[in-house]
Amino acid sequence: MEIRIQNLSHSFGDKVIFRNDSLTLQDGGIYGLTAPSGRGKTTLLRILMGLIVPDSGTVTAGVRYSTVFQTDRLLPGVTPVSQLLFVRGGKAEREAACAFLSSLLPADSLHQPVEELSGGMQRRVAIARSLWAESDCILMDEPFTGLDADTLHQTAEFILANRQGRTLLLSTHQKELLQAYPIQWLEL
Amino acid sequence: MMKPANPSHRFLRGLLVALFWLGVWQASSMLVGKPVLFASPLDTLRALWQMLPTAGFWQSVAGSLSRVALGFTLALLLGMATGMLAFRFSVLRALLAPLLTLVKTVPVASFIILILVWFGSGELTVIVSLLIVFPQIFFATVNGLESADRELLEMSRVFRVFRRRIAWQVYRPALMPYLLSACASGLGMSWKAGIAAEVIGTPLHSIGEQMYLAKVYLATSELFAWTLTVIVLSLLFEKTVLSLLRRVGR
Repeated sequence: MEIRIQNLSHSFGDKVIFRNDSLTLQDGGIYGLTAPSGRGKTTLLRILMGLIVPDSGTVTAGVRYSTVFQTDRLLPGVTPVSQLLFVRGGKAEREAACAFLSSLLPADSLHQPVEELSGGMQRRVAIARSLWAESDCILMDEPFTGLDADTLHQTAEFILANRQGRTLLLSTHQKELLQAYPIQWLEL
Repeated sequence: MMKPANPSHRFLRGLLVALFWLGVWQASSMLVGKPVLFASPLDTLRALWQMLPTAGFWQSVAGSLSRVALGFTLALLLGMATGMLAFRFSVLRALLAPLLTLVKTVPVASFIILILVWFGSGELTVIVSLLIVFPQIFFATVNGLESADRELLEMSRVFRVFRRRIAWQVYRPALMPYLLSACASGLGMSWKAGIAAEVIGTPLHSIGEQMYLAKVYLATSELFAWTLTVIVLSLLFEKTVLSLLRRVGR
């Protein structure tokens, strides 16, 4: 499903973030959003998800999103497997969720409450959750924060292997670390 | 730095503290020297010992316990249900909040007398414990649901998670601590208010009736024994209900 943003204008008080901007995301495209902080990366993602109503402009409706927020937003006291099952599936998918996570996280961490996991591991749970969920488009807000270089590449491979043809839009300030991947870069 | 006390140490210390105060109690009753005014721990135990094998004792205990328990349970169920509705519909909340704040500030004695006038002493204990606990549970439910993490709710919305799942995994954990602390204080209050109501209304087969009779006959040791009974019942009731709630809330 093609996602169109047309004539988008939005400002916070005096600060103009978008002025009559337009953008089209092709179905199945992989997009990277780079911009200095404070230029509206998060705002753009939130407008797409319908969490912010822009001052003016239109966004394609009826798109099902899944996302990695700027913060992890994991359920407290809940294991990584159950974090996945919260957004899709039930008890019957438990095995599948385990298998899904096991290529990204050590096996013994899958059944611990997320608080007992390191920050980087929690980030990867949030990333896995966005890929596991049913959606047309995946939005990731700075998904690689807190990941070291090795984990970053492992995680990037995981994302590409599991996006299943869905449109992907990720924002990052680490563009140079992601040169090896087929990402189409958008500047704000 | 304080050393963490090990369990047997702590038990011993607790025992010594209890013995100390029992000693103070015994000594002061001996100082007063009039068991009719101030029964000693031994007098109290003796009175309890004499009451325990009688059918009247257990009838009164069963009568009060069942009525307090019924009042509390009704308050818990109705308070939660109303609280959830008030959380969902702000009109209901705007209507109910001032009324229930008023209910919280009205002296228990006024309720007791009104209920006696309106309903008689039969249902007195049930209605009084219900009235005392209901506002507590109501406000705890509303505030607990309100404390649910906004970011998690937003996340659930984006992922289009089923409502029932959001209720169970986001709202329930937010609600539980509020509900547990309201129950902990409500349980004690329902006993105190319920027994106070019984002393005034003297319904048949109730602890309050027995306390009233003890007062009439100046049987201070029996009054003390009944007080001890209420304390033990109230503690047992509180422990049971809280552990049940914790199990449900896990």
